[in-house]
Amino acid sequence: MKKFIDKLIEGLLKLSGTVTGITVLLIIVFLFKEGSGLFQSSTVEKGYTLLVNSENLIDKLSPEELKHIFDGKIENWKQVGGRDEEIRVFRFDEIFSIYTDDELGEDYALIPEKLGEVINTNPAIIAYVPQKYSPKNVQGIKELTQEKIGLSDYFLGEEWLPTATPAPLFGILPLLFGTLLVSFIAILIAIPLGVGVAIYLAEIANERIRKLLKPAIELLAGIPSVVYGFFGLVVLAPIVQKTGNLDLGETAFTGSLILAIMALPTIISIAEDALRTTPKAMRDASLALGANKWQTIYKVVIPFASSGIAAAVVLGVGRAIGETMAVLMVTGNAAVIPHSMFESVRTIPATIAAELGEAPSGGTHYQALFLLGAVLFIITLTISIVAEIISSRKMIKE
Amino acid sequence: MKKLILALSIISIAFGCNTANKKETVTIKGSDTVLPLTQKEMEAYQKKHPEAAISVTGGGSGVGIAALLSGTTDIAQSSRKIKFDEKLKLEESGKEVHEVLIAYDALSIVVHPDNQVSRLTREQLEDIFTGKITNWKEVGGEDLKIIPYARETSSGTYEFFKESVLKDKNYMNGILSMPATGGIIQSISQTKGAIGYVGFAYVNNKVKDIHVSYDNGKTYIEPTVENVKNESYPIVRPLFYYYTNLHETGKSFIDFILSSEGQKVVSEVGYITLNK
Amino acid sequence: MIQTKKIKEQIAFSVFRLLGFMVLGVLLWILGFIIYNGIGVISWEFIFSAPTDGMTGGGIFPAIVGTFYLIIGSTLFAFPLGIMSAIYTVEYAKNNWLTKFIRIMTNNLASIPSIVFGLFGMTLFVNTLGFGDSILAGSLTLGLLILPVVIRTTEEALKAVPKTYRLGSTALGANKIQTIKRVVLPAAFPNIITGLILSIGRVSGETAPILFTVAAYFLPQLPHSIFDQAMALPYHLYVLATSGTDIEAARPMAYGTALVLIVIVLLMNTLAGIIKKRFEKNK
Repeated sequence: MKKFIDKLIEGLLKLSGTVTGITVLLIIVFLFKEGSGLFQSSTVEKGYTLLVNSENLIDKLSPEELKHIFDGKIENWKQVGGRDEEIRVFRFDEIFSIYTDDELGEDYALIPEKLGEVINTNPAIIAYVPQKYSPKNVQGIKELTQEKIGLSDYFLGEEWLPTATPAPLFGILPLLFGTLLVSFIAILIAIPLGVGVAIYLAEIANERIRKLLKPAIELLAGIPSVVYGFFGLVVLAPIVQKTGNLDLGETAFTGSLILAIMALPTIISIAEDALRTTPKAMRDASLALGANKWQTIYKVVIPFASSGIAAAVVLGVGRAIGETMAVLMVTGNAAVIPHSMFESVRTIPATIAAELGEAPSGGTHYQALFLLGAVLFIITLTISIVAEIISSRKMIKE
Repeated sequence: MKKLILALSIISIAFGCNTANKKETVTIKGSDTVLPLTQKEMEAYQKKHPEAAISVTGGGSGVGIAALLSGTTDIAQSSRKIKFDEKLKLEESGKEVHEVLIAYDALSIVVHPDNQVSRLTREQLEDIFTGKITNWKEVGGEDLKIIPYARETSSGTYEFFKESVLKDKNYMNGILSMPATGGIIQSISQTKGAIGYVGFAYVNNKVKDIHVSYDNGKTYIEPTVENVKNESYPIVRPLFYYYTNLHETGKSFIDFILSSEGQKVVSEVGYITLNK
Repeated sequence: MIQTKKIKEQIAFSVFRLLGFMVLGVLLWILGFIIYNGIGVISWEFIFSAPTDGMTGGGIFPAIVGTFYLIIGSTLFAFPLGIMSAIYTVEYAKNNWLTKFIRIMTNNLASIPSIVFGLFGMTLFVNTLGFGDSILAGSLTLGLLILPVVIRTTEEALKAVPKTYRLGSTALGANKIQTIKRVVLPAAFPNIITGLILSIGRVSGETAPILFTVAAYFLPQLPHSIFDQAMALPYHLYVLATSGTDIEAARPMAYGTALVLIVIVLLMNTLAGIIKKRFEKNK
């Protein structure tokens, strides 16, 4: 009996061990399953369709073209390959101002018929209507083919406008660039500071200072991200704005400053560990050869610990890329491909946090956000693997 | 130590088992514009009914309606009318949607207090927010870049502005978006060239509001309570509660808001009451 | 020649010292800013009453309680699971593919951004399993977030227990489980507790995982059950700083909330440090 209990317990322990593995697999499954559903959806908003007069030469339009037409930027059919006619944009609600409620029938049953009339009498019209009310199989009316959202629409698209009508745009380039820009600048700031402090702690500082600085750095690591965001919003953004004489303080640069501070503890502690593992023998040998402490540090210790330091930097990058709240509060959240770091940007985590609440479950926006989550997951996974490789390469060297 | 863990576990389980009370909290989610109103109404309501459990969360009108769809809220507060396809989706999932008008709100266009411009037509506003006009000097101000602020796409205010002022055109690329109204006020008060739109109740002395003309410059109207009540100010919108099925507390709460007491709270918060 | 060498060293060392103090300075700047602005707000009323007047008055009690429940919920979930998992990998596992797999997966879980946890928590606990926005969903999501930390610190703690302890126990006739239960675990206890304390600090400050799983803007009645939403300190700070009718007037509340958060983190860090020191002494 006892043996059985022992086996049971061992089995239980084994099961617990696999929980992390199961979780990671589940995360991957959920993210990718939901995200890939995006490519099964059509480009036009769900439940709606686009109708044109059958005399129109055009059979289909890209999401960008649709957006520009409905925004009034493209005004003539010839600009998209049709005849030289001014485009007549028709939105569904207009039907209510053309016909009275009586004319539209009980329960709006006559709407398809009336819509059919409107479209037939307007050769240059393009109508955006719900599928439920669209006239079916009527002569003189053509439905534009609905394309599915394509890989290049998503991964190479330059505009992220998830609620644009009639066709939402899900181009992630602005978000990708925003994320990379903020993290990259943050790391540029954090590396010299972080590695420098690591060297200071590992090699130069005396015991007393180390006792002061180490807990301070742990404290810095423990400050919640929303507190950092608060600090950035209330203190740093106005300072950046005044000093740079900018139009506004919520920029990529401000975000980078805060991220740099947040990534510091990671870089410092890992780099410091790497430096400390340098064998005493190597240091002593260097000193015996006549080098002073500083020369030993930069000619012997740092090169030895270089892969550890590189790993520290890479992990710092990972921390910066995945950061959500601080960035959300401080970068202005404009979904544009930035031209300079003093503009507002929108990062991937901030986009997910800001938009997930309103995306109806299962809709295209929802799927697009999940795909974003998948992209983020892959980026951070790659970084963590790269860090592993770098630090294990060091092991092999020995 | 072990005893402590045991004790904590028992407390938590006992707490967790109190699931019988699940149904009693009325959940309200949605518009950030309606949020302060709901909060104040909750405070007033709870003075009379201290046992009532109500919770409110913001996120934008879109969040509320999406939550109504997925069944994670009892009431969706919204600063825009429910969209056609949202209604369809709800009906398709077998839920009937009830709409209750609870107050009116005016949308104020705000700029930095030092901005010399104090009046704009709807067309100018449309061009500013779609990116056609980019400098204040084009509308009679100084030579300064215009920085438009918008809300997040989940916001009813965002949608309403798009419908009413932009006539359904899409906002310009790269418009700055603030997750909530308070953020817009803050940013505009700090940025000289900024312009944004906020619910009337949010305007304070840190920003300046613009007189708007919807008739091509013939008349410019200032957003004030009287101008909204006499319908001369053009950018006014109704605020709604949407629900599918509601129990006692929820219904009672809504009745309270529609009563004269509840409407008094509406005007205290800075919104416009129903009986104009 | 030797002069320049020495000068170079002096310069280098001064630069590094400067960097060290800069980092210290940043910390003091942030802490000072919050403490200075927040200390005036802290009062009995602030801690023990609910927000009033549209978040410009009253206190943050519901948020404190909410965070408290989330702490209990997440540690109740993550600790037993994490400790058992660590016991398995340290005490039982052979060096096969399963162990390697577990180790890699734990590392991966640790590097996943908190928003992805929020996304996952929402889709699994709130939607698929139907818990809705609830303390239950929030606790499970946060629990997953701290799981890798718990596993790692417990593994380290177990590994630090000298082999002799285990050998001695087996020599006295105990089997594996008894050894673990009566000898290894108690010895590793202080370090495990340190991990617990640090996780508590982490959980109290995380916002992204609770955005879509539990957080409510205003819930003056305390939650009745684990299926209710709850307010929480970090989310409260976020909304105070970015929404509400009168951000300026609510600012003092925001500072107070930030201060409470900082105090919790400070407390946890100090506590962990004290326990570590006590443990070193006893050795």
